[in-house]
Amino acid sequence: MLDDGKRPLVRVRNLKMHFPIYRGVMRRQVGEVRAVDGISFDIYAGETLGLVGESGCGKSSAGRAILRLYDVTDGEISIDGNEIAHLAGDELRRLRPEMQMIFQDPQASLNPRMTVAAIIAEPLDEHQTLSRNARMERVFELMDAVGLNRNFANRYPHEFSGGQRQRIGIARALALNPKFIVCDEPIAALDVSIQAQVVNLLEDLQEKFGLTYLFISHDLSMVRHLATRVAVMYLGKVVELADSAQLYGDPKHPYTEALLSAVPEPDPTLENTRERIILEGDVPSPSDPPEGCNFCTRCPRVMDICRRESPEFKQLEDGRFVACHLM
Amino acid sequence: MLNFTIRRLLFTIPTLLLISLIIFLLLDLAPNDPTGNLPLTIPAEVREQIRKALGLGDPIYVRYYRWLVQFFVNEPLNLLGEWTHSCIGDCENRLRVTSWATRSPVVDLIAERMPQTLWVVGLSYVVGILIAVPIGVYSAYRQYSWFDQLGTFISMIGFSVPTFFTGVLMIVIFSVQLRWFPSIYDTTLRVTDWSSLGAQIRQMAMPVFVLALYNAAQISRFMRASMLDNLNQDYVRTARAKGLNERVVVLVHVLRNSLIPVVTVIALGVPQVFGGAIITEQVFKVNGLGQLLIIGIQGADIPLVQTLTFIFAVLIVLFNLIADILYGILDPRIRYD
Amino acid sequence: MKMKSILLGAAAALALAPMAQAGRGDSGHLNIIYWQAVSILNPFLSGGTKDVEASSLIIEPLARYDEKGNMVPWLAKEIPSVKNGGVSKDLKSITWHIKPGIKWSDGSALTAKDAVFTANYCMAPDGGCAQKANFADVAKVEAIDDLTVKVTFSKPKPFPYGPFVGAQSPIIQAAQFKNCVGAKAPSCTEQNFHPVGTGPFVVDQFRANDVVTMKANPNYRDPNKPSFASLTFKGGGDAAAAARSVLETGEFDYAWNLQVDPTILKQMAAAGKGEVISAFGTSVERLMVNFTNPDPKLGDKRSTVEGGPHPFLSDPAVRKALSLAIDRQTISDVGYGSAGKPTCNVLPAPAIYASTANDSCLVQDIAKANKILDTAGWKRGSDGIRAKNGVRLSILYQTSTNAVRQDTQALIKQWWSEIGVETELKNIDAAVFFGGDQSSPDTFQKFFADIEMYTNNFNGTDPEAYMGSWTCKQIPSPANNWLGDNMPRYCNPAYDKLSSEMAGTADINERAKLAKAMNDMLMQDGAMIPLVHRGSVSARSKTLMGVKMNAWDSEMWNAADWYRAK
Repeated sequence: MLDDGKRPLVRVRNLKMHFPIYRGVMRRQVGEVRAVDGISFDIYAGETLGLVGESGCGKSSAGRAILRLYDVTDGEISIDGNEIAHLAGDELRRLRPEMQMIFQDPQASLNPRMTVAAIIAEPLDEHQTLSRNARMERVFELMDAVGLNRNFANRYPHEFSGGQRQRIGIARALALNPKFIVCDEPIAALDVSIQAQVVNLLEDLQEKFGLTYLFISHDLSMVRHLATRVAVMYLGKVVELADSAQLYGDPKHPYTEALLSAVPEPDPTLENTRERIILEGDVPSPSDPPEGCNFCTRCPRVMDICRRESPEFKQLEDGRFVACHLM
Repeated sequence: MLNFTIRRLLFTIPTLLLISLIIFLLLDLAPNDPTGNLPLTIPAEVREQIRKALGLGDPIYVRYYRWLVQFFVNEPLNLLGEWTHSCIGDCENRLRVTSWATRSPVVDLIAERMPQTLWVVGLSYVVGILIAVPIGVYSAYRQYSWFDQLGTFISMIGFSVPTFFTGVLMIVIFSVQLRWFPSIYDTTLRVTDWSSLGAQIRQMAMPVFVLALYNAAQISRFMRASMLDNLNQDYVRTARAKGLNERVVVLVHVLRNSLIPVVTVIALGVPQVFGGAIITEQVFKVNGLGQLLIIGIQGADIPLVQTLTFIFAVLIVLFNLIADILYGILDPRIRYD
Repeated sequence: MKMKSILLGAAAALALAPMAQAGRGDSGHLNIIYWQAVSILNPFLSGGTKDVEASSLIIEPLARYDEKGNMVPWLAKEIPSVKNGGVSKDLKSITWHIKPGIKWSDGSALTAKDAVFTANYCMAPDGGCAQKANFADVAKVEAIDDLTVKVTFSKPKPFPYGPFVGAQSPIIQAAQFKNCVGAKAPSCTEQNFHPVGTGPFVVDQFRANDVVTMKANPNYRDPNKPSFASLTFKGGGDAAAAARSVLETGEFDYAWNLQVDPTILKQMAAAGKGEVISAFGTSVERLMVNFTNPDPKLGDKRSTVEGGPHPFLSDPAVRKALSLAIDRQTISDVGYGSAGKPTCNVLPAPAIYASTANDSCLVQDIAKANKILDTAGWKRGSDGIRAKNGVRLSILYQTSTNAVRQDTQALIKQWWSEIGVETELKNIDAAVFFGGDQSSPDTFQKFFADIEMYTNNFNGTDPEAYMGSWTCKQIPSPANNWLGDNMPRYCNPAYDKLSSEMAGTADINERAKLAKAMNDMLMQDGAMIPLVHRGSVSARSKTLMGVKMNAWDSEMWNAADWYRAK
């Protein structure tokens, strides 16, 4: 498609994920939480797209919506050319092997009553017809790939440490040879010492199996290390999307600037000169977003227009996308 | 697990002894009298002689000791003798725990009551579980759907409307008006052929239904709550992400995990089955263990009440242990020792 | 069930019977419900009415009472009397002649030895025989020959029909119970559950506190009876359910003791399946008036003669006013329906004993009651409660827990408030109230209250022992472990004299005169305030014929004559 060989594996257009709010005796719908409110981006084959933002900005909902773990409200999602936004039932299920997810809490995401082997083998049973031996062979292969001792195959998840559990989660995600994996804060629940191991494993696996990642995280430095491109979300919308180097070097959106200013510098001299931009106020409720630009209530450079019109998510000359009236 | 079980079993011995003493003291201190229900035409001196003949004249520790020996030594020896069809020790003159009202061994009375209680109360428990689990699962899966709302409403009724009301209501409708089922349970009925089986089913229908409704109301609520707890877990999302069939997700992943607490609740409820359903048995004249207990209480038949309540205590302690062990077996995260 | 085999057996018996018409077993199966379940079939070890009545189908006395209260010979040839020489002139012995040819259900012959054994069985020490009162003053029971029994008393007995008369005193088989005498009595479970008898039925299956099934006694003396081949004697549930099973669903043929709200019973009977029947014996619901002082401050002397007279109930005017203020008809209608009628006597039956001297109390007269109190000097205080010399008319009124009794309490409290009497109501669980627990302060014998209410009656038709309840020596006190029947603590030498006079009088008319005099004395002294003459209420299916409801004996007394309408 594109001449530089970059082919969008995942194409998201105007994706909306609204959760209804019910109140009262008759449980009437009184409103909705706009967790994801019209986001659009492409993820190219083999790249890692970082998705960053504060807690509650809708990044996890976006990840789950893209994998169709939710029924999306509106928009288009195509993965490897298959339009999946409004598929259901078996049609959707058949496409599941293409796309997988690695969850934040490895403990909670593994069925406590299943052994490691059963957890990894289950999708194989569902989507492939393998003999017993072949299946076990595949399970061992996957365990090797993520660095788990084969002897642990018959143990239960609670018998493992957090890092090992996340490896189980990864092995499980890899079982069906997916092309696209959503990593939903895969290291947030881990010790710092383990985080690097898991991140390195993800990188190795990406190289080995040619995987495409959507890497959701609030850890900006980890994303900088991992991601090819980075999307910044605020209150259900992507405010800036750029190459990793561009974004970290020269943030365009005031929110990105503020976010990056909060990242501590490893170098103490630089750290001392770092100017933090402190945002005033709280993130507005996603059930009642402000008029105009979502960021207008907290933006240090707010203008009149910001309170009236929602800025367009537009591409700048250098290829990055920004949604801001300043641009 | 074995060590745990043995340790727990050993602990139950002093517990049960203490329970037996407490029951004995409570019954003894309670102001009642085995001759209290006799007609007033029986004069007071005769009553006093009856009380003496029942052994009430002895001091309390003598009576407690006698009961202990009768219950823990004589009764087991008697059982053993009956099984092996032999005579162990002085089997002719061995004193067994004897009911004051019937002057017959309490254990025989209990054995006689067991079949109808297990049939009616036990079956209602099984039916209740069989109804409750699917309802609980579906209610949770379709939370706030009309089915769930209906389920909530019905279990609220089953839970809050007492069985003496539902029971009598059913008798008025199905026995008096429609004449489908008998209002009085025939404990002497033996199932030998199709027609007697039909009669047995007809007479069990109402008590089983009333009790099953009550049990199902309780268990389906547990099931629903437990399912709801699990439905939103990440591992369920994982299962969906694996591309599993929705049926597999719900029935294999969610249900199995949700059953862990429900199974323990069910196990803890089993002693109630043996305890019979005092009210329902009375309403339908099933005359099982519950009715035996209430008659014993009304007639101040202390040996009967003491033995029955103690057996219930044993069952409760035992099923607590069983529930703990089941939990350990079902949930790999729980390991004893 | 074994129903089929029973029917077949009955059919076979029928074929052998000389007359095919109205023969034994013709009416098939009979269903009886006694909601208080049968515990044991040995009336000597229970005394509970349900047990006595169930066993009366199996074991029988020498004589019993018919539905009118007349004594009729049963296993005996005739009723012994002084006239026919059966009772000795000195009234110290009675000789019974057993009908020849009567067989036990196991085929052996009934002899005088069985009667002798029965007497010794009940009189044995440590046996705890519940019917011992029937053998009071018996010195000796001997068999003169195979069919003649002689009972000798230690003193003259003008009414010598205690032993072997009525459902409470049947004859058990010596051969069966020979190893069950005295302390061994309770261990004979098999015998107590399956007694061998001479009655129309034999036990087939016995489930204690649940159900008894019986079949016709193959050796019963009348080859054409009983008409029913088998019966079920079911227990459990409550009175309303029992009534429903006869009156509404028709599952049962006979239901006993239906103490149910009269209006509910009427509705049920409207279904047309059965009929409510009642019979009046000697039961009277009455208020006992405490003549002694129940003040807790008296400690051990509370409610005893030593504690002194009651502060206000000792005044005859107060007792009279309390009685006058009560509308007995209303109490009867509200609580008892067809099972009650207002009465002014503690001895309302049999007819020859019933006095009419007190019937003025049947009419409630609040104005007159007020006047009596005014005259006696009881003045209303500012709160409307009367008082005199600092003593307020404030009554603690206790009874057993029972819906009808609580209704009655509420009615009486209202009427008494209209005459300036304050009433505090108390109800006590029946097992405690009527239980003899020495440690409980709430027994009816201790009577730690001013007024208490319950029903009492006597077995059979002779009131001598019953009227003896209110003699001075029957007053309960700590000295006699509160054992005694004189709850009001009424003590009147004139009354005691009448009582001992009755004990020496044999002529029935003289005895009736004495009994009436004693009743009138009690009533006029206001020792008791009778309220309702209570009958027993049962129900029978409209297809069940031959029932003669009997308040003087077991309701099952003539079950051999029952049959199914064709």
